[in-house]
Amino acid sequence: MNKPKIASDWICGCAGCHMSLLDMDERILKIVELADLRATPITDLKEPDESGVDVGVLEGGINNSANEEVAHKMRARSKILVALGDCAVFGGVPAMRNFCGVEAALRRAYVEAESNEPGSEIPNDPELATMTQTRAIHEVVPVDYNVPGCPPDPDVIFHVLSELAQGRKPEIKDDLLHWH
Amino acid sequence: MVQITINNKQIDVPEGTTVLRAAEMAGIQIPKLCEHKELTPYGGCRLCIVEVQGVRVPMASCTLPVNNGMVVNTETEAIKKSRKFILSMLFSERNHFCPFCQVSGGDCELQNAAYHEEMTHWPIQPGWNDFPVDTSHPYFVLDNNRCILCRRCVRACAEMAGNFTLSVAERGAKSMIVADTDVPLGDSTCIKCGSCVQVCPTGALIDRTSAYQGHDEKMTEIKSVCVGCSVGCSINILVRDNRIVRIEGDWEGSVNHGVLCEHGRYDPTTEARKRITTPMMKKNGKLEPVSWEDALNAVKDKLQPLAGNKNGIAALASTRLNAETLTAFKDLFESKIQSGMVTSIEEGVPSSAVMKFSEKQGEFEGKLDMLRSADAVMCVGANIGRSHMVAGFLFKRNLNKGTRFINIDPEESELDELANISLKAKPGSDLALIKGMQAVIHKEGLERSSLTITNADEWIAQAVSASGISAEQIAQAARILAHSVTPVILFGKGVTAQRDEKIVEALYQLAVQIGAIDQERSSLLSIKGEANSLSAALMGLDQPFKLDGQKVTYVAVGDDYVSKYLVEKAAKSAYLVVQASYESKLTENADVVLPVSIWAEQEGHYVNLDGRAQKTAKAISAPENVRDNLDVLNDLAKRMNLALDTDWQTAIRGRKSSVSLN
Ligand code: SF4
Ligand code: SF4
Ligand code: SF4
Ligand code: SF4
Repeated sequence: MNKPKIASDWICGCAGCHMSLLDMDERILKIVELADLRATPITDLKEPDESGVDVGVLEGGINNSANEEVAHKMRARSKILVALGDCAVFGGVPAMRNFCGVEAALRRAYVEAESNEPGSEIPNDPELATMTQTRAIHEVVPVDYNVPGCPPDPDVIFHVLSELAQGRKPEIKDDLLHWH
Repeated sequence: MVQITINNKQIDVPEGTTVLRAAEMAGIQIPKLCEHKELTPYGGCRLCIVEVQGVRVPMASCTLPVNNGMVVNTETEAIKKSRKFILSMLFSERNHFCPFCQVSGGDCELQNAAYHEEMTHWPIQPGWNDFPVDTSHPYFVLDNNRCILCRRCVRACAEMAGNFTLSVAERGAKSMIVADTDVPLGDSTCIKCGSCVQVCPTGALIDRTSAYQGHDEKMTEIKSVCVGCSVGCSINILVRDNRIVRIEGDWEGSVNHGVLCEHGRYDPTTEARKRITTPMMKKNGKLEPVSWEDALNAVKDKLQPLAGNKNGIAALASTRLNAETLTAFKDLFESKIQSGMVTSIEEGVPSSAVMKFSEKQGEFEGKLDMLRSADAVMCVGANIGRSHMVAGFLFKRNLNKGTRFINIDPEESELDELANISLKAKPGSDLALIKGMQAVIHKEGLERSSLTITNADEWIAQAVSASGISAEQIAQAARILAHSVTPVILFGKGVTAQRDEKIVEALYQLAVQIGAIDQERSSLLSIKGEANSLSAALMGLDQPFKLDGQKVTYVAVGDDYVSKYLVEKAAKSAYLVVQASYESKLTENADVVLPVSIWAEQEGHYVNLDGRAQKTAKAISAPENVRDNLDVLNDLAKRMNLALDTDWQTAIRGRKSSVSLN
């Protein structure tokens, strides 16, 4: 089989971009026809092939050391890297945390929030990923295509994937370009 | 004319045209942000850069005047690259979270510009600094996180409203839009005209009522006229699902050129009065809903026997009603029923003295436009800071450029601070004061056209003793007027309420004396009252309202506000019929209430204070059981076997007008 391989993953996003991907309805069969859908959060295979894929898609920005690893791995294993959605492209909603900083955000979430048990603490297991400032993917690894939208329209995702699967450069403009 | 070539297109444009405008004339749009056609070019955002042959660096086209033979290119690769860079810098400075911004998706000029350059991301990420959000203003929010410092708001506040509230504090990256000395907008000198919001290209100024109510493309835009006062500003009503979402000043408006005041922009969308949606009649001391049939028949039964009886019915109409309705109203009650007490709710307070003087003098008033170029303005008893505000904007915007302002009004107001001279004359002393000014000008030989003044010193002495103002101050005010080249005298209710045409005459003489009135022009103008004040006056609906044993009082209030004074006066009625849109003390006291449409639910004509006949449009539909003001009168007449005249154009020509009508 020599169909181009596509893999995707989500990091600091809300899964909405992948929902929008599914929202392309029967056109997803067209994608399957054109490409070999490999590891994605919604298929069984969870890691992009070690041998590499043609197109890697990342939803979400990068807000901790684990996200960084995923981004680096996807970049290393993909010929073309696509940042999908506003969080991946700009930082998005999670980037609002950058206004107060990591410390204050953790304290608010684990200590101060009304839903916490009295005496709750910020988790400090050394196994846990370390929080960082929230960044767009292109701030951490080089990105070939930024596909904004919160989430991007199914039409936009279909356009990008089908163009890439057919070896063309997707043009994201006019009706296909929106940041919300 | 100068010839210029833009993108290989040759075009001749008038000298002094900017390259940006010249391109527009040639049908070429240059991306821009800080530039706005009604504001002075500022050249701050640099997005409008173009390549000029022979010039090494890109030039901002909004401030660049054309030169003969200039060759300009707007879409070279280098220019496009620079534009993208400029936009990148703008996005990196503040925090733009488009997914939850009310203007994202069509109504943001910044985002549209980025889309135009096909930007899929920000090459330079923002620094995530938190910028202040000011939520203290009743009508809008200022979110500095979305501000691009284009200063359109600052310029609009100064150049449109003449209010100078907004400015930029600090410099460079620390620059911030602030009100006054960096006080919350809600505590500032802002007069709530909303001009800043209308011109803001981004989502930084958020209109409280229309935000998130849909994009502009989802709205139907209806051109109409504000009926808030007699200035008659042109408006665009943005409607969605039969609801007024927002009102904007019409840039094409001949009176206002886009600007509006608080009343015109926000009153309709913040209306709090309760709508009347069914006809009602008083039964056992309580108003009960009834059918139109019953209500109108009851009124007919009351009116019909009183026809021909001069003292049978008192009829009052609001001057916020359109001219068609006022004409029918006058025809029904004055011509057909022959009542002797048919007038307007304003009772001619803002107009009767003016009308009396015009009977003698003919058209003596000027046009609003002259306020734009006035180098001195004297307001007498006209608080243009509270009503007729746009008339004030027309010259307030020039106060920083040397226009002098004299305010004569016993009432304290914020105008006092703006005025070069503020005279607090004792009430009732206007005539003496104006004559005193005439005398000073005469005595000091400053007249452009001389008046017969027998004893100048005596007039001055009388002015001083009557008004309580020093001779020196009177002289100062007089000198300002006499020395100016394009003086304008505005007067309002403070003068006309005295119902004394002698004061109007004195103002006229003063205007002639200082050259404000000559063969070519008249720069004397009264601001009148409500939207159709002048129409009503021209129809003769301007006598004082007196109840004198009438059996029925009919008040056509329409959507007007009801004063306590009117409620008290009408309370003495034997039988009260009220035609109104909103509940009030007056409708509470009524025996019959007829629910009618508001201004935006009907079309009709208004004659503004300087004689422009303008038409309002029907923008929304009235509630189910509510009827048009004119329909109600027509139906009532039909039940009495009468047909009403609605030829308003003839009706307003029944009397000599004080302004030319057009
Ligand atoms: S102002 Fe424009 S660019 Fe900024 S967040 Fe709103 S839509 Fe986006
Ligand atoms: S608030 Fe709006 S109009 Fe004012 S400077 Fe900022 S972006 Fe420009
Ligand atoms: S609402 Fe009018 S007066 Fe107030 S800040 Fe804006 S432009 Fe200035
Ligand atoms: S000045 Fe009068 S007509 Fe103009 S917006 Fe204000 S209320 Fe309306």
